[in-house]
Amino acid sequence: METPKDLPKFAVLQLSGCSGCEVSLLNSNEWISNFNLVYMPLVVSTHKLPEDIEVLLVSGGVRTDEDLHNLHKGASRSKKLIAVGTCALSGGVAQIPEGHISRESYLDSSHRLRLPSMLPRAYPIDKFVHVDLYLPGCPPTPELFITALKEAENARIASIVCQECGRKKLTDMRPTSISGPRSGTPDPEICLINQGYLCLGTSTRGGCGALCTRPGHACVGCRGPANPYLNKDPEFVLDNLRRVFTRMTDIPIEEINAALASPWLSLFLGQFTDYTQDQSLPQQTKEKMI
Amino acid sequence: MTTITYPLSRIEGHARVVIDIHDDEVFRADFQAMEMRGFSYYVQGIPAEQITVIVPRICGVCSTAHQVASVKALEDLFGITPPPLACEIREVLLLGQLIQNQATSLFIFTMPDRVNASSLFEIAETPEGKSRQFSLAQMSLKIRKIGTDLISLAGGQFIHPIKTVIGGVTSSIPREKADAMIKTIEELLPMAVDLVDNYWQMSTEMVDRIGTWGDDEPTYYLASTEADSFRLNSKRLRVMCDEGRECHTFAPQEYENYLNIEESDYSYAGTSSFQGHIMRANSLARINLTNSFGTPKADAYLKRFGEAYGKPAHAILFFDLCRGIELVYALEKAKQMLETDLQHGEAMVRYAPRDGIGFGLVEAPRGPLIHRYEVENGLIKKADFIIPTVHNMLAIRRALMVAAKRYVSPEGISNELSRAVGRVVRAFDPCIACATK
Repeated sequence: METPKDLPKFAVLQLSGCSGCEVSLLNSNEWISNFNLVYMPLVVSTHKLPEDIEVLLVSGGVRTDEDLHNLHKGASRSKKLIAVGTCALSGGVAQIPEGHISRESYLDSSHRLRLPSMLPRAYPIDKFVHVDLYLPGCPPTPELFITALKEAENARIASIVCQECGRKKLTDMRPTSISGPRSGTPDPEICLINQGYLCLGTSTRGGCGALCTRPGHACVGCRGPANPYLNKDPEFVLDNLRRVFTRMTDIPIEEINAALASPWLSLFLGQFTDYTQDQSLPQQTKEKMI
Repeated sequence: MTTITYPLSRIEGHARVVIDIHDDEVFRADFQAMEMRGFSYYVQGIPAEQITVIVPRICGVCSTAHQVASVKALEDLFGITPPPLACEIREVLLLGQLIQNQATSLFIFTMPDRVNASSLFEIAETPEGKSRQFSLAQMSLKIRKIGTDLISLAGGQFIHPIKTVIGGVTSSIPREKADAMIKTIEELLPMAVDLVDNYWQMSTEMVDRIGTWGDDEPTYYLASTEADSFRLNSKRLRVMCDEGRECHTFAPQEYENYLNIEESDYSYAGTSSFQGHIMRANSLARINLTNSFGTPKADAYLKRFGEAYGKPAHAILFFDLCRGIELVYALEKAKQMLETDLQHGEAMVRYAPRDGIGFGLVEAPRGPLIHRYEVENGLIKKADFIIPTVHNMLAIRRALMVAAKRYVSPEGISNELSRAVGRVVRAFDPCIACATK
């Protein structure tokens, strides 16, 4: 029998984030038996990143000078680097856009003696290091972690969330406003768009098992845009959503446009573009994607 | 002056302990949160109805509690009462979170300390671990998974759940799924009890070795569960004063009259006190404020704990034992609740949004959590998150001082101090992401 020491060295580097990705990973029990876990501070008391790591998962965005230091160290000591979750891919939910009303007060209040300094933005990790594989999701499900770790090459991922949702799209049920969430219990069989929800499943990458839409919550797009809209301006995916809502509903275009300007969308749909709008740093094309 | 920095692991988030020693005397011991999440800043200006999806992202460990508190704050603000079925399903959801959290803290975070291992997976390799006749790691992860499965069942997914929405829950729990879950709990409950007994035993052996249960000076205690009904989907906060009697109760709307919340200059997390008194929240606070759980096994543990250590009990390593009692309770209670009908009836009511101020309270695993929102023209004008870990910050600092003084002497600094620092912080199970909201 193989002992853990013979297995490939596996490490998890957590930058600034919510630990949700790590909590999800903990539920993919298989990872314990397939790797020799050498570094994951949430679970193991080791403060030193070892040399010669086979696979390094990085979660969280680059938010502090310490994050940046650890990211460079991790990248130089690992053969394969996988970016995990919205924050590592885009900077994430913690990103405050330029010009946001609270940006100045946040930055003013985020200085402490003897502590790491907060950077002016939360950066995606590929601004600084080469990423071999991207695993989007907030967080990715345990099954997606296994796919990324074991069979990334042959992964077959549902192209959009609708494929895994199973709700029926109807042609004769055309809502006139986005009032679904205010209207009581949703019908369990019918497409949420038919029921007046701002559901992004038609344009969002699948693979999550439609965990939100099946029980009756609109897809917020946490897996990011489906393949046709990757590495493109967010306008492409917004255009597609506009087309879907015009085709399936009688909601006035002004209401659709206003809804598409929502923070939900900016949180997740922007994650494959240059979300930080900082042109002074390079940006990788996000190609290898689970 | 000598400054020693201890990086911390096996806790949620990035934190460290810094101890300053001057002339063989401990001068200062700080618990520092190393990053600032800042959610209270950047939710300003977003549409109020969308905040329930955004704020669970404060923390992936505590996302369930944040989601329910957020929804309850908006229901308070919009003047809506969710149907009873939805409240029951939310309670099952919060029980799932309690199981997941207490199992994580007990087995992944703190059990390695009992046998001086660096992780749960190495326990079998230590002399103390070898004597155990079963695989602690596999059993522990199985028990923890009951919690995540329950959250998925009642919440849709186990991190950043979505079924709790303004007005109720999006869908109920079908009988056959409830039955499958009941079967799993029935099967694994004896294993959980075994684990908790082993943990208890390992803890007393550790205490025999190190000679202390840690800082045992009385403090105030804060919880929002009731004395005879341990409901996590809670309504009011209760305070025990340092002489051990329950001295105040208050609604979440009144928190500013009772809790003094301040920023700190040495950490990205602030502190709170009960009108200047050090207080504690989390498992030990709840157990000190509980007369009865209403489930047989948990009540037996409650009795055993009280007889062994008194009531109220104050030493900080009791937090860990109390988590074990709560784990057993949550398993028993979840089974009881799943045996009732959670499938039929109204799960969600219609609502119309309006402006105003709203408060949402839940008992999170780490203590009472309050969200307070001000909404103007449909947008969040101000959001405050009153965080359980922050209630414990002054108590953590004091317990660190007690430990540091024990291990620093004119002869030098004992190697045990590094372990003691880990044990002290983990007893409080702090959540750094939440504490720096």
